[in-house]
Amino acid sequence: MLAGERLLPVPGPLGALLPGGGVQRGSVVMLDGPPGSGATSVALQLVAAATAAGEWAAAIDPDGTLGGAAAGEAGVVLDRFAVVRGVPASRWTTVAGALLDGVALVVAELRGRLAAGDARRLTARARERGAVLVAVAGGPAVWPAEAGLRLHVGHGAWPGFGPQSACLASRSTEVHAEGRGARRRGRLDALVAVAGIPPPSEAIAGQPRGERARQC
Amino acid sequence: MLTCCLWCPDWPVVAARRRDPSCSGAPLVVRERVGSREVVRAASAEARAEGVVAGMRRREAEARCPGAVVVDADLPGEARAFEAVARAVERITPRLELERPGLLSFPTRGPSRYFGGDEALAGRVHEAVAAVLDLGEGPVPVRIGIAGGRFAARLAARRADPIHVVATRDTATFLAPWPVAVLGDPDLAQLLVRLGLPTLGAFAALDPDAVAARFGAEGRRLHALAGGGEEALPVLTEPPPDLVEDQELDPPAARVDAAAFAAKALADRLVERLADRGLACTRVVIEAETEHGEHLSRCWRHDGAFTPGALAERVRWQLDGWLAANRPVLDGGEAASPSERQDALGLAEGGLDSTTGALTRLRLVPDEVVPAAGRQLGFWGGDQAAADRADRVLTRVQGMLGYDAVVTAVPQGGRTPSERARWVPWGEPREPERPLVAGGEAAAWPGAVPPPSPAQVFDPPLPAELLDADGRPVVVTGRGDASGAPAHLRCPALPRSGGRLSGWAGPWLHDVRWWDPSARHRRVVWQVVVEPDPGQAVACLVVVERGTAAVEAIYD
Repeated sequence: MLAGERLLPVPGPLGALLPGGGVQRGSVVMLDGPPGSGATSVALQLVAAATAAGEWAAAIDPDGTLGGAAAGEAGVVLDRFAVVRGVPASRWTTVAGALLDGVALVVAELRGRLAAGDARRLTARARERGAVLVAVAGGPAVWPAEAGLRLHVGHGAWPGFGPQSACLASRSTEVHAEGRGARRRGRLDALVAVAGIPPPSEAIAGQPRGERARQC
Repeated sequence: MLTCCLWCPDWPVVAARRRDPSCSGAPLVVRERVGSREVVRAASAEARAEGVVAGMRRREAEARCPGAVVVDADLPGEARAFEAVARAVERITPRLELERPGLLSFPTRGPSRYFGGDEALAGRVHEAVAAVLDLGEGPVPVRIGIAGGRFAARLAARRADPIHVVATRDTATFLAPWPVAVLGDPDLAQLLVRLGLPTLGAFAALDPDAVAARFGAEGRRLHALAGGGEEALPVLTEPPPDLVEDQELDPPAARVDAAAFAAKALADRLVERLADRGLACTRVVIEAETEHGEHLSRCWRHDGAFTPGALAERVRWQLDGWLAANRPVLDGGEAASPSERQDALGLAEGGLDSTTGALTRLRLVPDEVVPAAGRQLGFWGGDQAAADRADRVLTRVQGMLGYDAVVTAVPQGGRTPSERARWVPWGEPREPERPLVAGGEAAAWPGAVPPPSPAQVFDPPLPAELLDADGRPVVVTGRGDASGAPAHLRCPALPRSGGRLSGWAGPWLHDVRWWDPSARHRRVVWQVVVEPDPGQAVACLVVVERGTAAVEAIYD
């Protein structure tokens, strides 16, 4: 397979952060961030990238909290995105392995402790099938093996939202990408803004919207 | 050998008119959703006279024919309505094959001799179907074509007015002037036109070996068709007798939903077992037994091999058609007597036509199989192989964890994020409960929380407390006056159980179902940003109902 074909392109400011402008097929992406920071939205953007390329994606959502409307707004083609809920911790590895067989991208929320052997087996399965496994860690749960790309979502902010605002409009999220990149090595900080409908009363000019990349 | 093809042009329109007789006078356009656009699925004759063509966008169709009534496509309804036509033809010949609602075919050798000739047979069939459809005045929308082979018979039906018979020896000459586009392969057709072979006759005149060398096995098959040959598949094998898939339905299924999961499982198993032997199915007989001991069967054919999804869809349509008579109420909402039900289904004659009981057994019998390395025609514009792989895996996970464990989202109308998406189990039709579009425009939901939507939605919402600066719960009156500005949010599920608010928006007042005293409830929605730690901002959606607050969503 050509090197270009092995890359799943990710559009938008998030893609600009990633080495090569996308995610390598057959690799594992580790995604973590404190609750409320925007990690789920980043995961949905990766799902949108996969479905936009005409392929299928699946998510393991043990608590059943994934928002369908948010997925649609992130650009996910909902016909090709399935969510698996109610997965008991004992079957998590089996379900993740089964999904990697059939779809191009799996977003899996880690629950509890995952054995290192299981993590390595899933990594091998992903590599064999050319699928992408996005392991979303949270709190005590971590991904105990190698990951080709690590995305850390830092504390986000909602600029311009104060008491008696019209509605939530724009947000800025700090995303650090670490991994074996083609051109960029080391940490990259970028502010990825997710814009909604701007409130009519607020002045738009002068607000830092869009991407601002600072290399450190 | 002669085949007879019965075609009801614009069957979606006919079915829509039977469902809703009030739109019989005006031009009618049936629309369906393809991807993100709405296109015309079928148009009535009056609409077509104004220039509406199947496949064009709905807006363009409305511009060309402003007086047209636009209705949604209803595939199960079309299949159900066509079941009556199939039954009428079944009384004349049992060996009919359904291809899709609106198109069926059957071999003519036996019935033709019985009725005294092809013309007479076609006349009988036309009469029987016209009696069933019973549309009153106006031309009967049924065309019958008889020719050598199904492909030629379909073209004869297009030419029919309303009957067209082509003898076997004349089939090649009948086919010759048709353009190559009717073969159904647009790439090949374009290429042939560029090579200077615009008609089937010109294509058929080529040397078969040369065609096979240039265009492959598929090209040779189409070349044989163009010459008036039979629909000869490369190797027609007798289906192995042990490949019948059987399922007992216990408790007996009186509604389609109860049997749909079993039907899908049967379809998957059949296609998988055939694939294990390197075979694919192009014709299948769907059989069922009712609790009163009746045997029902119907033969369905597919253009190309049956995929599990297509087969399950046809089984579902067929069950819909058989079980339709069991429905206790008509669409009008009143209970119907059996004779009213039969009339509604267009069954002019009584007798054993209606299913009198629930189904106890479902069986799928492959009738015609081909080697599986043959034709795999793509369907919904995506990669068919990827869709099949995903379907297999998702059905397997469904089997592991339960039917409701694998779901997909369907956007629908609503005011809050949890109302705006419906999670449908994998395998069920993806239909919203509340449509996004009503009457041709986006439905309005006053008081809806504007996008962006939150990525984490909790159902049921997490209990919380929304307090003002003095520590009292924030209360909103019916007129929208808040008792105080929200200043603190306490919720055990948030980091550090919540904290001070750095910003808030709202309140949005929802008065849901105010016209129904038993179902009425009022609630207030706030958007807030909590700062449990300095520098950490968590945006939440808080719903206050009957004095208790709860966090319904987090903008993660």
